[in-house]
Amino acid sequence: MLRNTPAFILNPLQALGRYSQLLFHAFGAIPEFGTYRKNLWEQMVRIGVESLPIVMMAAAFSGAVTTVQTSYQLVFPLIPKGIIGAIVVPSMILELGAVVTGFILAGRVGARIAAELGTMRVTEQIDALEAMGLNSIGYLIVPRVVAGIVMFPVLYVAACFVGIGGGMLVGDLGGFVPIGEFVDGAREFFQPFDPLFGVIKSLVFGFTITSISCFKGYYTKGGAEGVGRATTQAAVASCVFLLLADLVLAVILL
Amino acid sequence: MKYSNEIKVGVTIILATVVFILGVRYFEDLPLFNSTYGLTAEFDNAGGLIAGNIVRVNGVAVGSVNAVYISEESGKVIVDFHVDKNIPVTEGSEAVVAGFDALGVVRLELKLGDPNVPRIPEGGLVSGLNPGDLIGQMTERAPEMMDGADRVLGQLEGVLAEANTMLASPESDFRQTLRAVQGSVDEVETLLSEERERISDILGNVDRLTADLDTAAGEDGEAVTALMDRLNTMMTTLDADLESYSATNEQLQEILRKLNDGDGTLGMLINDPSMYHRLDSTLTGINALVADFQNNPEKYLKEMKLVDLF
Repeated sequence: MLRNTPAFILNPLQALGRYSQLLFHAFGAIPEFGTYRKNLWEQMVRIGVESLPIVMMAAAFSGAVTTVQTSYQLVFPLIPKGIIGAIVVPSMILELGAVVTGFILAGRVGARIAAELGTMRVTEQIDALEAMGLNSIGYLIVPRVVAGIVMFPVLYVAACFVGIGGGMLVGDLGGFVPIGEFVDGAREFFQPFDPLFGVIKSLVFGFTITSISCFKGYYTKGGAEGVGRATTQAAVASCVFLLLADLVLAVILL
Repeated sequence: MKYSNEIKVGVTIILATVVFILGVRYFEDLPLFNSTYGLTAEFDNAGGLIAGNIVRVNGVAVGSVNAVYISEESGKVIVDFHVDKNIPVTEGSEAVVAGFDALGVVRLELKLGDPNVPRIPEGGLVSGLNPGDLIGQMTERAPEMMDGADRVLGQLEGVLAEANTMLASPESDFRQTLRAVQGSVDEVETLLSEERERISDILGNVDRLTADLDTAAGEDGEAVTALMDRLNTMMTTLDADLESYSATNEQLQEILRKLNDGDGTLGMLINDPSMYHRLDSTLTGINALVADFQNNPEKYLKEMKLVDLF
C-alpha cells in the first residue's frame, strides 16, 4: 500500500518518523550527562551568549519601530499617549521578543548547527564517533538542544529588555511619548501572565529551532552540496515551524 | 583574562533572571527592591478589575492586583492584591474599584484608615466598598435607553410635523380656533377693563349676599328649611303649570296650523284673498260715494229735506 502512496505524502511522514526517532534517542541519552557535559557549556556559549549582541540589536530596533509606528497610527486626539506604552510593551513581551529572537536564531544558530553536523556526517566524523563507542546523538545533539532550550529564554529576556528600552528611548527622544507616560500606560495594561507566556514560547522556540537543525544536519547526505542543502533547509524549516508553534501556543494559552 | 564557558553562561543566565524578575515587578508597579505584603478584599462586583491592575492610595500607585476570582462559598468576588510594605494599611481601611471599565482602565483604590490603629496583618481582609459602577450600569442600560429615546423622538417628530402642517395651512381648524380664541380673549379683556368697577360691585354684592345667606342659614336654619320646602312645592306646582301650559301650547299650535292651512272660518278669512278684494271694492265704492256727496251735496240733500220735515 505504501508503494502507491505519492512521495509528497510519504516524504514528510518519513521525515517525521526519523525526527521522532532521533528525539527519542536524544531523550534517552539525556541521563548520560558525562557524555555531553563539556560540550553543553560550549554550545550554551555559542547559542546563547554569543547570540546576545545580534538579538539585542534586532530587538532594540523592533521596539523602536513599534513605538514610532504605534504613535503614527494613534492619531485620535482623545487617546492618551500612554496607550503607546500599553501597546509596545505587550507586543514586545508577547510576540516580538520571542519571534524576532527566534528568526535570528533560526538563521544564526540553526544554520550553524546544520552545517556543523552535516559536515561531520559527510566527512564521516559521526561514524567515527560511533566507531569509538560514543553515543553520537548524546554527544552531538543533546547538548545543542538543551542549550537551545536553556538559552533561548535568556535571549528572550534580553530582547524584551532592550526592545522595550529602545521603544521608550525613541519615544522620548523622538517626542512621541515621554518615558513616564509610556511606563504608566504599560503598567495600566500589564498582565503578569504575559511574560510567563513569553518564556513558555521561548522554551518551545528554542527546542524547535535546535532540534530541527540537528535533525537536518545529522541526516545530511551527499557531500558539500548536501551540507549546503541541509543548512538552507534547517534555517527555512526552523522559521516555518517556529511560526506554526507561535500560532499553536497563542491559540492554546491566550 | 579569559573566562570559562561555565562562568559566561552562568552570569548570562543569572543576569537574565534578575532582569526578568525586576522587569515584571517594574511593570506590575511594585517597588523593585522593597518587599510587599499581600491583602484580600471582597466585593459584590469586580467592575472589570483584572490581575495586574494597579492599586493606588490617594492617586499614588503602591501595588497591584494578583488575582480576581469568585469565592466558591459566598459567591462574592475575592481580590488578592499586594502593596508596598511601607504603606500603613490599618484596620478600617477600605478598598474600592475605580476607573472606567469601558476604557479598560480599572484600578483598586485604597482608602487608608486611622494611622494610629494597628495594621491589617499579612493576608488580611480589607473591607471592599461596592462601587456605584455608574458608567458600567449606564453602558448596560444604554441600548434600552437609546431605544426609548428613539421611540420618543420618532413620535415627537410626527407630532411636530402634524402641528407644522396644521399651523402652516391658514384654513386649518387649529388656526381658526386660535384666532377665535384670540378674539374672545380680546373681547373679554375689553369687557373686563370697561366693566371693572361694575364687576367689582357685582362681586361685592355676591359676597354680601353669600354672607347674608350664611347668616340667615346660621341664625334661622328652620325658616330657611321651611322656605326651601315652600319653594319646592312652588316648583312642583310650577312644573304642573308648565305641563298644562305645554298642552295649551300644543293646542294653540294646532289652531295656528289650521289657520295657516286655511281650515275653518277664521282660516278662510285669513287665507282667502277674495274677501279682501270685495272689501277693497266696497271701500272704493264708498270712497266714490263720499266724493260724489261732497261734490253734489244737493243731490243727496234733496233727500235730506225729508229730514227737515221732521
